[in-house]
Amino acid sequence: MKNQSINTNEEYKYGFTTDIENIRAPKGLNEKSIKFISEMKKEPKWMLEWRLKAYKRLKNLVEPNWQKPKYPKIDYQNLYYYSAPKSASNKPKSLDEVDPKLIETYKKLGIPLNEQKKLSGVAVDAVFDSVSVATTYKEELTKKGIIFCSISEAIQKHPDLVKKYIGSVIPITDHYFATLNSAVFTDGSFVYIPPNVRCPMELSTYFRINASETGQFERTLIIADKGSYVSYLEGCTAPMRDENQLHAANVELIALDDAEIKYSTVQNWYPGDKDGVGGIYNFVTKRGACRGKNSKISWTQVETGSAITWKYPSCILQGDNSVGEFYSIAITNNHQKADTGTKMIHLGKNTKSKIISKGISAGKADNTYRGLVDISRKAKNSRNYTQCDSLLMGNKCGAHTVPYIKNKNSSSTVEHEATTSKINEEQLYYCNQRGLNQEEAVSLIVNGFCKEVLQQLPMEFAVEAQKLVGISLEGSVG
Amino acid sequence: MIENFKINSNEIDKINFINKEDKNFRIENLNAFNSTGFPSKKEEDWKFSDTQAIFSKNFKKLNLDNSNSKETDIKLIKDFDHNYVFLVNGKLVNSEFKFEDKSKIKISNYHEEKFSETNSKNPFICLNHALSNNGYYLEIKEGYKFEKVLVIYNLFTKDLSSQILNNKNKIVVGKNSELHTVNYTINRSKNKFINNSYESTILFENSKYKNICIQASKSDGYFHKFSNNKLRSDSNFSSFIFSSGLKFYKQDINIDLEGENSECDIKAALFLDNDEHQEIKTKINHLVPNCKSYQKIKNVLDSEGRGIYQGKIYVKDIAQKTNAYQLSKALLLDDNSEFNSKPELEIYADDVKCSHGSTSGSIDENSIHYLMTRGLTKKEATQLLINGFLNEIISEIKSSTIRKFVENKIELQIHGY
Repeated sequence: MKNQSINTNEEYKYGFTTDIENIRAPKGLNEKSIKFISEMKKEPKWMLEWRLKAYKRLKNLVEPNWQKPKYPKIDYQNLYYYSAPKSASNKPKSLDEVDPKLIETYKKLGIPLNEQKKLSGVAVDAVFDSVSVATTYKEELTKKGIIFCSISEAIQKHPDLVKKYIGSVIPITDHYFATLNSAVFTDGSFVYIPPNVRCPMELSTYFRINASETGQFERTLIIADKGSYVSYLEGCTAPMRDENQLHAANVELIALDDAEIKYSTVQNWYPGDKDGVGGIYNFVTKRGACRGKNSKISWTQVETGSAITWKYPSCILQGDNSVGEFYSIAITNNHQKADTGTKMIHLGKNTKSKIISKGISAGKADNTYRGLVDISRKAKNSRNYTQCDSLLMGNKCGAHTVPYIKNKNSSSTVEHEATTSKINEEQLYYCNQRGLNQEEAVSLIVNGFCKEVLQQLPMEFAVEAQKLVGISLEGSVG
Repeated sequence: MIENFKINSNEIDKINFINKEDKNFRIENLNAFNSTGFPSKKEEDWKFSDTQAIFSKNFKKLNLDNSNSKETDIKLIKDFDHNYVFLVNGKLVNSEFKFEDKSKIKISNYHEEKFSETNSKNPFICLNHALSNNGYYLEIKEGYKFEKVLVIYNLFTKDLSSQILNNKNKIVVGKNSELHTVNYTINRSKNKFINNSYESTILFENSKYKNICIQASKSDGYFHKFSNNKLRSDSNFSSFIFSSGLKFYKQDINIDLEGENSECDIKAALFLDNDEHQEIKTKINHLVPNCKSYQKIKNVLDSEGRGIYQGKIYVKDIAQKTNAYQLSKALLLDDNSEFNSKPELEIYADDVKCSHGSTSGSIDENSIHYLMTRGLTKKEATQLLINGFLNEIISEIKSSTIRKFVENKIELQIHGY
């Protein structure tokens, strides 16, 4: 794996024919390809300037190298930064052409047939059930004044909102991958909830039309105006068909006075095979700003996929009485590596944060929790509670905890606790005795271990996620 | 300027007892130090203790001259019977073992013994390897148990000003032996100076070593101490660290649990105020199965006191049945005080029990209120609670006379609150 170069053009691991005829930006990272992307997206001038500014900055940055998971060097000049499929004709025509293993997983997760088609990239008819479902939803949202569209559409139709908020949480001067994304992002979601509106449904990328092929440099911007509420779901429990090896997405959340954003992620991208060959590098920057008083941002994530996951969904608690939450399950098997955690930056008075992180490591995998709790001098009466538990299966894997805790305030309280252990033999034995086989028993126990986090997921997601936890650990015990 | 403080290689020539091999090693380390200078917060290990900033704020110049002071008069501790080793600015000047069998003890100047040290990336260790010119070597032969405690008086003389002292000490505890020491630092200098020491300890099979570290009074010293401890099977190492009263103190403790069933514990009770900065950094390496480690660090921080705890537990894949525990607690009394911690776990074995906890916060208002309803003033109530908070550590000292001695020292500091 170490010596393999990253190539977006590589044949897809599940055995699809991937040689789709594409419209592509010129190869390489340069001003020309950025201009090409901007032009293809018919972006206004200010957007292009913003991208170029980020690119200029990028030239002075170096890739970070402090993180635990090491990966082969990425040749940024050998990547295509824009590629849109010309037609759907080259995609698999029916589910029969899709890898049976993938179909088997879908069945285990209980995903309806039509969804299976969409997920595996099968070209679908115009009258596809979920499309019409999506259209009905869209009407309902428009009635309430909610804007939910792709970021490219938002740049054209709602430039004022985008201009005001884009880059305000993750500035173009941020770290390498975030800046790279700012320069070359291709698409993503945009959500705006007007004041005092409670979004009536869980928004999901799945329901967004034209959401397929979001690309490797995704950019999401969610703004919850005063007194509003939104719950957003990203990703899917099913393995995603994806051809790009490097993913550097940026997600920005902004919550104004009394607003609440709940952001849930289930990530199950291709983790590479049993020997650790291939797999996605998931280098994501997610950051939320609780700008207003009494605002709340809650991150929930279930990370089971990707060869390397490297992400720290963070909360900047600027407004007084604002609340940040982070619930995470990271499961790594075989040669997967996950380095994930959160940053809770307390700036306002009476701010609260809660971190619950569960790491499960099996096979030869490495799982790291890395987090920061920073209570500034002005954040009087702030409160943090952190709990990170790790579960190890076998002695070839690793579990690490690296919390940074800074407290500069005498009226604030910070608590952190962490444990590392293995699955209790007695519990396993008990389950076996009651007729569960080894794998079912492990799945049951691990689900119990993760319960606090799974509870945070929206109902329909939670059921699938539970099954996913079991599937991810298949073959790790016994 | 301190920012680009460099040391001339002729400083090494001034040390007169070195051979060629030793000299090459020193030059290598000197170059290593010169290439980095004092570490700044850009280095991960120095994130919370930016020595470059701290030193350049407090020192206009630094020199390497040895003190010529003839001061040797100190008041011995009268609270308990003890043997002693007497160091002046790190140099061994006297020792007395009147309670012990002298044939079982070997004490000498450190340069009379061969020290084989490995290179390190820590600039302070490089600096020490390059320039260390004082220190002691203490060896307890096989099967000898100390009758009384050994106090190591470490006197820093009045004439110190802007010096950097580099000392190197080594303690060897033989098979089935036992040693109990108290490191007692007396600082007479009213000026600022830096003391950079390096200590290595080897505990052979089934031996025990207990150490208590305490200062006589507050002072303007800037200390860095690295200690490298190796534990063979069935050995037991225990270390107590109490308030230093120094302006800056970073203790970097590395413990290798090399033999099965070895155990170590580190306990600290610190009360820091007035711009005092103290960091405890530990790295406990569980390299073989069935070892235990235990760490408990308690900090009370008043006006601009900064407490830091960076602890790491490393468990190698073969080190099954490891039991490791880490706890840091801090009380912040003032809004200008600060507590930073980074309790880290790096675990590669599955059948282990590892946990850590870290808390920081203010004194419980309800407890203060309760005590005040019982007639205590707010100050008395606070002092009582601080005392109780730190006493949890102090009460674990087994010898009652030494415990009382430590209690008195700590109480004096708290009363200043």
